[in-house]
Amino acid sequence: MRKIQLLSIVLIPAFLAGCAGLQRDHVRFDGLSDCPKHSATTLAAKQSQLSPSSDTQTLACALTVLRETQDQSVLRTSLGSRLSLYLAERETNQEKREKLAAEGVGFAETALAQGGDGDGAVHYYLATNLGLAIREQITLAIDNLSRLENELKRALALSPDIDDGGPLRILGALYLKAPAWPNGIGDPDKALELLERAVKEYPGHPINHLFYAQALWDEEDEALLPRIKAEFSQGEKLLAEGNWGYSKQPWIKEFEEFRREIGEARLGVPAANGTPHN
Amino acid sequence: MRKTCLIVIAGLLASCTVSAAPDPEMIVVCYPGGSVNVKDANGAMSAMLRVVERVGQWQANSFNSLFTSKTDECRKQMAEKNPKFAITSLGLYLELRTLHNWVPVVQPRIKGRSSERYRVVAQKGKYKNLDELKGKTLGGTVLEEQAFIGKIVFAGKYDPASFFVLKPSNQAIRALRALDKGELDAVILNEQQFGGLASLQLTTPLEAIFTSEEIPMMGVVANSAITTVEDRSRFGRALEEMCSDAEGKKLCELFGVESFVFMDVSLFEPMIKLWGEGK
Repeated sequence: MRKIQLLSIVLIPAFLAGCAGLQRDHVRFDGLSDCPKHSATTLAAKQSQLSPSSDTQTLACALTVLRETQDQSVLRTSLGSRLSLYLAERETNQEKREKLAAEGVGFAETALAQGGDGDGAVHYYLATNLGLAIREQITLAIDNLSRLENELKRALALSPDIDDGGPLRILGALYLKAPAWPNGIGDPDKALELLERAVKEYPGHPINHLFYAQALWDEEDEALLPRIKAEFSQGEKLLAEGNWGYSKQPWIKEFEEFRREIGEARLGVPAANGTPHN
Repeated sequence: MRKTCLIVIAGLLASCTVSAAPDPEMIVVCYPGGSVNVKDANGAMSAMLRVVERVGQWQANSFNSLFTSKTDECRKQMAEKNPKFAITSLGLYLELRTLHNWVPVVQPRIKGRSSERYRVVAQKGKYKNLDELKGKTLGGTVLEEQAFIGKIVFAGKYDPASFFVLKPSNQAIRALRALDKGELDAVILNEQQFGGLASLQLTTPLEAIFTSEEIPMMGVVANSAITTVEDRSRFGRALEEMCSDAEGKKLCELFGVESFVFMDVSLFEPMIKLWGEGK
């Protein structure tokens, strides 16, 4: 997931392209005639098998079932929102990506309306989809900062463990990247606190380490460089060794971008693919 | 000046240059003491320039921007790039205006004002005035420009470096939290930061123990040696109209800018005088 980028709304922008609101029409999938015959109930029973590693066709088939279901017991869960996010994250076409993410927001809103408010995953996937849907549209992004913050706070309170500390990670990144006081909700102290917690409590997720390294880098303190290098190195190691499915390539790009930002010579750690840098 | 204003101006600037050059026209933007990530700022301004090019019917990628929050880097880039137009702080304008033949072009108007006051705040009841802060710690983002603070904000009456123990910060909120905890004795704030104090949940009440005179906000400057009167006039007019344009209005509203106005050069005469007399 390119979560840090979806929050890169720090300043101004790719303004004006669609200020009216989220896209609400659906992406049409091809090849649905090959889909296995599932009902929403059977899908829900097998939902643990659907992950960022699932192939796109499988996810598209599943999402199509959920688009048509009226099963409230399924609609009040985060399943539709989660699958939308998986598809959106791997979509390279911006318009389609935003539509899929907006659909994920819609699924989450439906879940809340159906009584899913107590499910932290609903809030979490609402926020992550929303971030993805608005990341290229500054006016929407600014308008939705508070909503993002509130949904992530709710997710953190209800389900801090989801997605290996996802609420801590994304809320921390939001405070790191958002416009700082007095212009916005950005807050380097909160970012550091949350991201440090993320790496301590959920050390197995590579992006927790990357985001923490980025927060430390923003401190502009040379004394922190060894720590930054250690976090970066640990994150790259986890990324290289783990099975992260379709998330892996975007995350590698995230690491590479940070490496370029601070300079390979200063970082001096091997790349995720094993190619030594410096 | 607000960082958002700087960025807004950076984007708008391109709409007013005279023609689309085959090589991108570089716009240098200096925001001393800002917490803005340079990569993010450059990326954002680049995106803004693309929009402005489209709106102004300029050839795509006719303009480029270079952002820095470091004063030394700003001096260096101004010397190397010799831009036709630049966005600077008032302090940098006063320092570099002769070297680069700068003339003020436009400034933002925010809440009906194109000037601002700086304040030094301390815990309520702890200090009565600046004199009582001699040898005490002073924090704040605006301390990146110490000469400007000494010569203009303090009107030459206090030399920040020798009078205080300076603790510059690139985050105003961090300086204020340190003040709240008693780790700093005082913090110097610009108008926007002072106006935002109420939104902070600090435990100790603060009060201003010093308020500066009105100081004009700086915006866009032009190098008069390499731009014509027509260039600057056309540019200024376009900026003036920007906030009443349908799309430009959204942009202006987003950052709280009511309009852009031609700068009255006479407003800067007292600043130039103070700068020249400054100790």
